[in-house]
Amino acid sequence: MDKLARKYLRARKIPSTACSGCGLGQCHKALVKALADLDYEVDDIIWGTSIGCSGRQTFATWNGDNFAGTHGRVYPIARGLRIAMPDDMKIILTVGDGDAFGIGFNHVLHSARTNTQMTVLVCDNLGYQSTGGQFGWTTPPGIVTDSSPYGMSEPNWVQPDMDVLKILKEAGATFLARHVSMDGAALVETLKKAVQNNGFSLVHTVFPCTTNFAKNALGSRNAVNIFNWIKDRAAPLGEETEDTIWRTGVYHDASNSRPEFSQALKKQVSDIQRRFQDEGSH
Amino acid sequence: MKRYLETGNFAITEGAILAGCRLFAGYPITPATEIAEAMSINLPRVGGYYVQAEDECAAMHMAVGAASGGLKTMTATSGPGFILYADPYGWAIGCEIPIVVLNSQRVGPVSGITGAPGQGEFYNSRYPTQGGNYETIVLAPNSAQEAMELTIEAFYLSERFRTPVTVLADQLITDGLEDISVPETDEEKEAMGLRFAEREFHKGPEFYPPTDEIDVPPVVLGKNTGAMCSDWTPTEEGYDIETVEAHHKHSYRMIYKIRNNKDIITRYETLFVDDDPDIIAVSYGTPSRSVKTAVKKAREKGLKIGMIRPISLWPFPDELFSQKTKYLVVELDYDGQMVREVKRAAPGGSEIHFFGKCGELPTVVEMHETFDKLLNNEPLRPEGWEKEAW
Ligand code: SF4
Repeated sequence: MDKLARKYLRARKIPSTACSGCGLGQCHKALVKALADLDYEVDDIIWGTSIGCSGRQTFATWNGDNFAGTHGRVYPIARGLRIAMPDDMKIILTVGDGDAFGIGFNHVLHSARTNTQMTVLVCDNLGYQSTGGQFGWTTPPGIVTDSSPYGMSEPNWVQPDMDVLKILKEAGATFLARHVSMDGAALVETLKKAVQNNGFSLVHTVFPCTTNFAKNALGSRNAVNIFNWIKDRAAPLGEETEDTIWRTGVYHDASNSRPEFSQALKKQVSDIQRRFQDEGSH
Repeated sequence: MKRYLETGNFAITEGAILAGCRLFAGYPITPATEIAEAMSINLPRVGGYYVQAEDECAAMHMAVGAASGGLKTMTATSGPGFILYADPYGWAIGCEIPIVVLNSQRVGPVSGITGAPGQGEFYNSRYPTQGGNYETIVLAPNSAQEAMELTIEAFYLSERFRTPVTVLADQLITDGLEDISVPETDEEKEAMGLRFAEREFHKGPEFYPPTDEIDVPPVVLGKNTGAMCSDWTPTEEGYDIETVEAHHKHSYRMIYKIRNNKDIITRYETLFVDDDPDIIAVSYGTPSRSVKTAVKKAREKGLKIGMIRPISLWPFPDELFSQKTKYLVVELDYDGQMVREVKRAAPGGSEIHFFGKCGELPTVVEMHETFDKLLNNEPLRPEGWEKEAW
């Protein structure tokens, strides 16, 4: 990471502000590694972050242009920015599960519908951890959190019959995948595919929160415990067992199959402009 | 000069495009929908973009996002949409991004009456987002023509001050058909007193311009300057380390870049205020038109009545209210909003009265009855109300 960090990240932001033992660094590192493998330069990317641990701890880390959006609204900011910014730059967003699947979900759906280029890495700590540990939309059944003291009783969006990635596929996303942060090289490979899609890509990655989730759900802040707890409940697609919660791998790859939002809009506008200039010159 | 008999919505669109607006983000809402429609027709012809969002919150975020990428952008709505702008409006203030917002006020609260004028967002336009620690710039036209001109001025001020500017209109202005003159040549623009400013961008090396000066270009993403637009309190290096010292500097900048340069913003119209009038009527937006007629007619009858019409509402032009007299504040709301500012600004010993109506304009007859009551020291009590309305 050191060589990568020197090239891509701001020295001032290393080490990150995450709690010690937090798995978020694994997600962050995998994404930077994917960008390095693809030979992207700092100037090729605008990096946006959201609210909550996932946004906060990756905020202003990118050595190029950055933005930090309001909670759940980085997606429409990105859709507007996408039109104004140079076509050959890419938007990367690191956001949390509450941001993408809760407060911002409507905006995520419309970003998928329009197939706007953005690679959304949803770093999922299984609830609202920066506020102390309340349940979210991916918290597994029965889990104790600060706001589900008797165990999580609501269904969630990683259940096979109501998977959020299915919804996003139907909504028009062109690249969708799920991982756990300890997937390492497999996560890097997936992120490389996601970034190369000239459209809407979302990679949902579960990572261990040692401070709040682990304390509430497992009764211990021991990092090894929660790492193993997540790892044991993850399996590649097709290899799942009864205990599997997170089926990992690429769910949907229709990369570059549909027009990208800003480019389609720009094409339409230049056609209209030309038509009216021609008519005007007659 | 092009002349039209058209709506205020049309005039606002013409003004925005003249000012260099190249992206408009809309969400349909009465009575501002026609702006979105006109933008969707006209922007592509000049190489600009019309986008429509899933809600007003997303619409303004798209407009601010595009502005953070260097485009001049705008969005337009009415009260129920304006409250959904709270989130992106705050982002634009905090990130110091220029953008123009139009609010055509209707009758509230909530959905209220969609096709009638109100003025319930006087304070909402001052505090369009949460948290305080900022000043806002708000301009209020009283005709379609002025709506066009103030839209252009709003773009100009937003660039110079690196901040959102709201044009606070109402349903009668945006829906009403009026005579509109759109300038074509530079001479015509100058003759109208229109001002224009180009978009430039902050070149670094800091994340953003850490200064309370105006005329400093805003941050633009995508120029490879290592820029940062952030909703968190930035330090001068741009990182959020949440220090009170950093927040003090940031707040000072957002407040005083506007307060210290208020003279660039302030606009108003006054009538018969130089002979110690017995009453000064105060009104902005469309009601100011019937108030003006009433004041002129009262003068013809020999009554000493004057008038003040604030055009820039925020920062509030306190200095206009220097005379100790009776003020009659006329607004399109029943709760009395601007009247509170007049009470604050007027010298001690002044009498501050309020005439409120909503959904339709005050009539000249109603104004004359009110002037008479005030001159005879009778209470102003709307029919059926137990007390003076304010
Ligand atoms: S609270 Fe949890 S998710 Fe947030 S930084 Fe700490 S360990 Fe990581």
